[in-house]
Amino acid sequence: MQCLVMLRFRTLAVLFTMALVAVGCDSPKAEFHLDRVFLHKTFGEPESREEADSLRNQVQNLKEVMVGLFGNPDEPHVPQLTDLDTTTVLDVGLIEMAAGRVASDEAGRGRGLYREHCAHCHGVSGDGAGPTAAFLNPYPRDFRMGKFKFKSTPLGVKPTHDDLRKTIIDGIPDTAMPSFRLLDDDEVDSLVHYVRYLAIRGEVERRLVMEVMTELDTGDLILDPEDRSNALVEENLELVKGAVATVVGQWANAASQVTEIPSPPDQWDSHDSVQRGRDLFFGSVANCVKCHGQLALGDGETGDFDDWIKEIDEKDPASKAPDFLALGVVEPRLLDPRPIRPRNLRTGVFRGGRRPVDLYLRIKNGIEGTPMPAAPASGLSEDDIWSIVAYVRSLPQEPISRPEVQVEYTRERL
Amino acid sequence: MNSTIHCESPWPHRFALVLVCVTFPLIWVGGLVTTYDAGMAVPDWPSTYGYNLFLYPWTTWFAGPWDLFIEHGHRLLGALTGLITIALVIVVWRNEPRRWVQWLTVMALVIVISQGLLGGARVIQDARQLAKIHGCLGPAFFALATAISVVTSSFWKQGPQLEIIGNTRSLYRVALFTAVLAYLQLIFGANLRHIPVTADVGQFRVALFFHLAGAAALALHVTILIWMVFRLTQPVKALRRPVSLLALLIVMQITLGVASWIVKYLMPISAEGRLREGGFVIEADGLLQALTVTAHMAGGSLILALSTMLALRAVRLAPSGTESSASFFCTSSRLTELTT
Repeated sequence: MQCLVMLRFRTLAVLFTMALVAVGCDSPKAEFHLDRVFLHKTFGEPESREEADSLRNQVQNLKEVMVGLFGNPDEPHVPQLTDLDTTTVLDVGLIEMAAGRVASDEAGRGRGLYREHCAHCHGVSGDGAGPTAAFLNPYPRDFRMGKFKFKSTPLGVKPTHDDLRKTIIDGIPDTAMPSFRLLDDDEVDSLVHYVRYLAIRGEVERRLVMEVMTELDTGDLILDPEDRSNALVEENLELVKGAVATVVGQWANAASQVTEIPSPPDQWDSHDSVQRGRDLFFGSVANCVKCHGQLALGDGETGDFDDWIKEIDEKDPASKAPDFLALGVVEPRLLDPRPIRPRNLRTGVFRGGRRPVDLYLRIKNGIEGTPMPAAPASGLSEDDIWSIVAYVRSLPQEPISRPEVQVEYTRERL
Repeated sequence: MNSTIHCESPWPHRFALVLVCVTFPLIWVGGLVTTYDAGMAVPDWPSTYGYNLFLYPWTTWFAGPWDLFIEHGHRLLGALTGLITIALVIVVWRNEPRRWVQWLTVMALVIVISQGLLGGARVIQDARQLAKIHGCLGPAFFALATAISVVTSSFWKQGPQLEIIGNTRSLYRVALFTAVLAYLQLIFGANLRHIPVTADVGQFRVALFFHLAGAAALALHVTILIWMVFRLTQPVKALRRPVSLLALLIVMQITLGVASWIVKYLMPISAEGRLREGGFVIEADGLLQALTVTAHMAGGSLILALSTMLALRAVRLAPSGTESSASFFCTSSRLTELTT
């Protein structure tokens, strides 16, 4: 009995000490991390100690180059290019407003907006691995691939400024992504620029990793600070500038590649049009039924993954994830590589927006980074797409979409 | 502790009550400062944008940005609390014969000064860890102010009521443990709320686990406490009322905890996503989110204060000098029976 009492007070003492230690623990300095999953996939496992050492040097050098180009979370830089104006894509003033530690001045102008509003889920590096990320479904977006789902541009093209603004202001229904409509316009713009900065930084990093892998000899540094006169260094400097210019250029060109949305034809949401949309939904050209299922409940072909999970492994990410975890990479996608689930079209909730134009864009352009493809260029006319929009919009109105009727429907089927 | 207290002045208790009543809103406003991440809305300390704290133009304060409004308001309320604590020390030292009560007020003064300095250091060094410690010390001060109000109350002065409580002299140990658990849980909560953005998913998971485990342990303890209080041979209002209120607060607090998660991240993970298909969009920093999260934080302080009050009343009701290790172990064995 006495032991039990002692145990009770010992437990209390241990708990108290743990709590005090937890309170006293200091938080580490914010810094950008390299994408270790991508690094490991690209370089593979070193075969010898020498190879491991030279790889470590190359990665360290790459990290220094990235800091030189983009700075750090407290003092971000925007890389300067002679033949490309980067300011339209990366506004230094707006980026600085979102970067660094959280504060505001007497006029209410905020600083550190990214850390205040985004970093707990999206992570300081924009890797979608903030402290809360593992508990969210879907996982927060990893910006480093430069892929964004909901946009007005075709697959493979970057989102526009307004696309990112829309997601931040509207939020994404039924996910942990909130609406930031209470923020001022310049604060939202600041976040858009910062998200773009993180995406560009991530994409440049990926390109440079590939360049190191394909263009440099084993052990060669991408930029050797002690050898500025070397022609090889000059060549590599061009290589770095080229990587930055390519990525920034893609973002700068996004606005000119926005998908034009034709006006819907007359009677586009009539009964006949809905019926036509239904035929197309089940037809072999659009073949929406393949993933969204016979009842459009999102219960068709499942088990596919989005591009962020596929980066672990195309076919079987779950079996490869432990390899990365063993390296000490702690990311939610590695802890639980969830398959992507096709949308249940009967709920009337569409993450990219429920307006007809939003649905048109999703069907026309597909959804970046997911198995949702773009509408085939031949075989589906603009009117066909509008008919599918009309059919999809009609689904939540059907009797079986309502739970109380669904029960009866199930009974009927039984 | 003497069984009867010869102190006729009502002022120590009145001042202690005022201190409790001012500290609770202070905790609320402090919670709002964290909720809105407004700790650095005023970059200097102890001045406010170069002004003496009390001379900062009220028009700018009221018409200025929200973050400035709550941060400066928090400082003013903190200063007021400090002044009331000083007054309490003076009143108690002049009117209260019990030396230990006098020193209790000195302890309160030391804590309130330390709390002010911690708040200032948090601003000057822009250190979030200090904000976390500041957030944990505040409720401790609130509990101490409550304790002072209990020991200066007329209830305390009546002395132990042996005939009422004779069969449960070990109740106060459970009550004390509950108060300690309430404070531990508050620390776990602060740890979760102040988790740095540089933490990884594992650290958040551990912090969340401790907070949930703490909630379960506290709820269990309060249940045991209710059972112990209500099984007394005679009803003791001085215990029944606070323990009932404590139970209500625990239910409210658990509800607010779940609600805090939902208004920030929506429903907890559901692999099928069925639970969340209502088209709901969270509004960041909206009124619903801010009030829910802050109320959950303030609720923790209220539970701590109430469990402190309950523990002290139980201590006072227990017969002094009669407890033996046998009675102590008796409580423990009873608890073991209950928890297994």
